Amino acid sequence: MVSDIVEEIREAYARVGIRLDQPAAYGTYYRLLCAGCGRMVGNVGDRLLPGMAADLVEGQRDLYADGLLGCPCGHQKKVVTA
Amino acid sequence: MSGEMDVIQDAEERGRTDLWPFWRRAYAAGDPLPRIACAVSRETYRFDEGDPLPAEYRELLTKMLRHEGERAGNKSFLGFMGTCLDLAEALYPTREARVIKAEYLAEELKHAIMFHRLAVGLDRDFALRDVPYAHYTFHLPRETWADDAYFHFLVDLNGAFHARDWRESSYVPLAKMAATVERDELGHSEMGYHFLREICADGRGRTLCQRLLGKWYPAALDMFGRSDSKNAPLFIGWGLKSVDNAEIRRLYQGYVDAKLIALGLEPPDPLKSRRFL
Repeated sequence: MVSDIVEEIREAYARVGIRLDQPAAYGTYYRLLCAGCGRMVGNVGDRLLPGMAADLVEGQRDLYADGLLGCPCGHQKKVVTA
Repeated sequence: MSGEMDVIQDAEERGRTDLWPFWRRAYAAGDPLPRIACAVSRETYRFDEGDPLPAEYRELLTKMLRHEGERAGNKSFLGFMGTCLDLAEALYPTREARVIKAEYLAEELKHAIMFHRLAVGLDRDFALRDVPYAHYTFHLPRETWADDAYFHFLVDLNGAFHARDWRESSYVPLAKMAATVERDELGHSEMGYHFLREICADGRGRTLCQRLLGKWYPAALDMFGRSDSKNAPLFIGWGLKSVDNAEIRRLYQGYVDAKLIALGLEPPDPLKSRRFL
């Protein structure tokens, strides 16, 4: 179910300080917003395979910690290194 | 139709810069793509617009065009283009990069017109059908300009390889537009590669690109579908494709690996994290 995948994506990103915006592009894609300052930091679609969102986001925690990914405000870095 | 396309061609030519279109340099150095040749004996078919199509042929052709997706009547494709602009607006590194992305969008919208015409000639209901991209590669998160660059380098390149194969398509309207689509998609791939080269010029950028390969590389290989696809012999038999999924993926991987190595990146294990072998 697409709605289950969206929930997976929402939960995975919440753990690194990123929240999903309202659906865009006729409900297929979502903006990724910094949970600290609201800035757009990317986007994601709703047809990822089950478990994929968590794998991808967890697999790049060190990139948020190093500042290679995440908002210039540093919110994700702060969240993953807390 | 030709009058409309002349206007578009004129607009395109006025948009040329030293960089854009990226296909120009690639083809000036010789044919950038490998030869995709059918190795099995098969009947020769030719079907033009308006010809009666065998039911199985029509079904396979429609399935192929559904996957392709670049149709003006496909609102999900137009929505996806909107996300590309949205992303460019949020992540662009320079004003020049953002203008290049707008050129890319203009060219994809040209394809939307071309494929719309083709779809109307095939089946008016299909021409208006909304078909969101089903493959997960189109839905992977893009959180940096490097993600976006990989998307173009790898996913648009997939389109270039398929369009190369369509040059020999038994469906005449598709064969006629194949060279233009191939050239443009190869250019979009080169645009992504240009951005990757810029990012990899810096040590931290190269580190990021190497890590992001773990996400994009398996997805790109997965886009060609399963090697044991039951439909592949049917597509080949009807002249809609020349080679099976495994062969076109092998050619694609060879091309991609050479380009990655030229950037100082190490191609990942091609079996790692794969979902469709």
